Amino acid sequence: MVTRVFMVRGGRWLAGWCAVLAMLAAGCITDAQKRGAIDDINKAFRVDYEAILAEKGTRVYKVTRAEAYDAVRVSLARLGMIVEAQDPVLGYVNVYAPAPRPLSVEEWQQAAAADLPRTREIIGPHVGIYRHFFNFEATGLETVISGTVVQGPAGTEISFTARMRETAPPQSGFPRREYLPPTAVRMGLDKMWTEVEREFKATYRRP
Amino acid sequence: MNDQAYPDALKPQYRLHWYTIERVLGQGGFGITYLARDTNLDQLVAIKEYLPVEVVARGEDGRVRSRGDGQRDRYRWGLDRFIQEARTLARFDHPSIVRVHSVFEFNGTAYMVMRFEEGENFGALLERRGTLPEKELLRVLLPILDGLELVHGAGFIHRDIKPDNIHIRADGSPVLLDFGSARHALGKSRTLTILVAPGYAPFEQYGSNSENQGPWTDIYGLGATCYRAITGTPPLDAITRSKGILGSTREVLVPARTIGSGRYSGQLLAAMDHALEFAEKGRPQTVAEWRREILGEVIAKNAAPAAPERSVPVAPEKVAPPAVPPPAFPAPAVPPDHARAGWSGARAPIAWGVAGAAAGAIAIAVFLQMDNPRRDQEEKVKKEQLELDKELTRIQDEIKRSGLELKSLQKEREFDVKRVQEEKERLAELQKQAEKLRTAAAAPRKPSPEPAPLTKPRPRPEMVPIPPSPTPVPLTLAPLVELEPGEAPPVVAMAKPKPAPQADPLAKAEGALARGDYAGAREILVPLAQGGNTQAQVRLAEMYASGQGVSRNYIQAYIWYSLAARGGSTTAPADRDRMARLLQPVEVKQADKVVEGMRAR
Repeated sequence: MVTRVFMVRGGRWLAGWCAVLAMLAAGCITDAQKRGAIDDINKAFRVDYEAILAEKGTRVYKVTRAEAYDAVRVSLARLGMIVEAQDPVLGYVNVYAPAPRPLSVEEWQQAAAADLPRTREIIGPHVGIYRHFFNFEATGLETVISGTVVQGPAGTEISFTARMRETAPPQSGFPRREYLPPTAVRMGLDKMWTEVEREFKATYRRP
Repeated sequence: MNDQAYPDALKPQYRLHWYTIERVLGQGGFGITYLARDTNLDQLVAIKEYLPVEVVARGEDGRVRSRGDGQRDRYRWGLDRFIQEARTLARFDHPSIVRVHSVFEFNGTAYMVMRFEEGENFGALLERRGTLPEKELLRVLLPILDGLELVHGAGFIHRDIKPDNIHIRADGSPVLLDFGSARHALGKSRTLTILVAPGYAPFEQYGSNSENQGPWTDIYGLGATCYRAITGTPPLDAITRSKGILGSTREVLVPARTIGSGRYSGQLLAAMDHALEFAEKGRPQTVAEWRREILGEVIAKNAAPAAPERSVPVAPEKVAPPAVPPPAFPAPAVPPDHARAGWSGARAPIAWGVAGAAAGAIAIAVFLQMDNPRRDQEEKVKKEQLELDKELTRIQDEIKRSGLELKSLQKEREFDVKRVQEEKERLAELQKQAEKLRTAAAAPRKPSPEPAPLTKPRPRPEMVPIPPSPTPVPLTLAPLVELEPGEAPPVVAMAKPKPAPQADPLAKAEGALARGDYAGAREILVPLAQGGNTQAQVRLAEMYASGQGVSRNYIQAYIWYSLAARGGSTTAPADRDRMARLLQPVEVKQADKVVEGMRAR
């Protein structure tokens, strides 16, 4: 899914002009070109996303399953996420919030700025010079996070996955991407683990 | 376009013969409409795929399969109607009727290829503009009438006329879309109230009998569409109207001529009210007849003076007052010349007034005196009428309740039959294992250092027959091999016979689902599913997959299907795989861990 951020700190008019230009630019590109560009971004981001989750998506704690489940729920709520579905018996919780939550706007701008040059590089072969008009869109999207808690031999394993959900059609004319920008995933996971561990420390005084 | 919003849809670039799918245009309960490219002619087309998700699911290979044996005939019947509809529609070549290019069977279902019409949906247009002036409304209505007349002439009824099914081309001309064969497809058994558009469907469409449907059914839909266009809201739905009419003998729908008076021509408003008559016989019977009323060539049968003849409560903020209030009484007659001659000057009007008032007072007194017995009689009739109305309402409630109970019982029966079938399959599996066991037991054993003691001939194991009754049968397993005391059982892995699922709570849950009580059903299903009941797991997974009474959640659906698959459900693996395709690979891994965790516990 495409997420957009205007890094321009100037007035809103400038942002508005950028949006208009982006739309005009998007209008100059054929659907096949847009699709090709988004497919390539998806492929690249998926590889990154899976690598990040392999590294940071799962942690094991020496706590009971119930303690872990509570901590996950509380931590996600503290980050502004809303519970959509939960099943303590399964050890599953699903939360959502309007993007860029759980990141703040500043964090999101930082993440988008980090990922934008590479993203433009990826789509360059498809859209040529129009790559410069590509931005991440944060409007019309929700962040959906799934947390699971499973009892294992070494302790209780907590896992997170995340995806974007469309609530309104994109303004840019580009189709939505399926995978989140890698820097945003990394930052989001760091935030969630920090909260979870803070919760453990506060409640049980054991990491 | 993110097609994750349409999980059952074919993916972009999918090839259907020489058509390439571009994206989904929309999905209803009976099918998906795609924007596709005809690669032979290099032009865009709209392709409607018959896909009633309630009875079918798409497999990994893109093929559509019925969800169970019980659904196969129902699906086939609907599919035949879909194809038939396409063939009938293809005969019409009218600018106001969607042009059907072809129909073909593929992927186990059928596809109707139609001309792709660019423009705006009439429903969206009305949403945007609120109401339409008469001129613009007629520009939409009259061409649609022409097309509809052609369709009716061929003995075909649309059955789903509403603003959303009318498309306005860029040049302003309308085209009627989405003929209602799909409703037939499931109408055999599905609750009809969810198959009709409330407000736009007349009362006869709420019944299962289609015999009393005809051109007047479509005329009602068009009348309701016009009503929406002039008032900003659709008319009350026919069920509410029926309650009003049966309960108090008073119409509850505010007539168009009350709302639109002064803004629209009287003939159009009268024609609309005529089209919206509750009883089908009360409406225009043909399009031609109705068109004449709209154009003022004949007066609508129910045409009345501008004052509302129905006594209805009208919300003042919603209804525009008539521009010119109609006179409450006829204008006073001019006094005759000879009367004027006898009275002259300023006293004449006063004298007339006094005389008139006196005459009026006398007339009222006489009327009241004379009318007492008649009023008593009227009150008595009214009272009786009230009693009858109450009785009628009670009977209607009774019928409704019986219908619900019947539906619930049917569901229970379906479930029982399914379960007996599953148990039969399980028994057959056990029989096979018993056969293996016997073979293993009969195989010559290696000579042991000590002579083995003689054993009695082993009797053939008896299998417990499943009675044909659909009532729940607890699965019991007779001992497969009788062993001598002290003899060790042969080392053959035996499937542990599972306890029969609790029929009652599940049947209750099915009943609750049939009633639309999803929360109640979920309350019953969750503990059963957590306790390992595969039927409950499948049902719960279905709820999550379809978003029935819960937030749609493919991970939860995947987890419950996986658990059911591991528990031996025969249908769950395919559904689990279908869910897996909607998830990211990492989400599948994550869900698999949960399943493992549940199994371990």
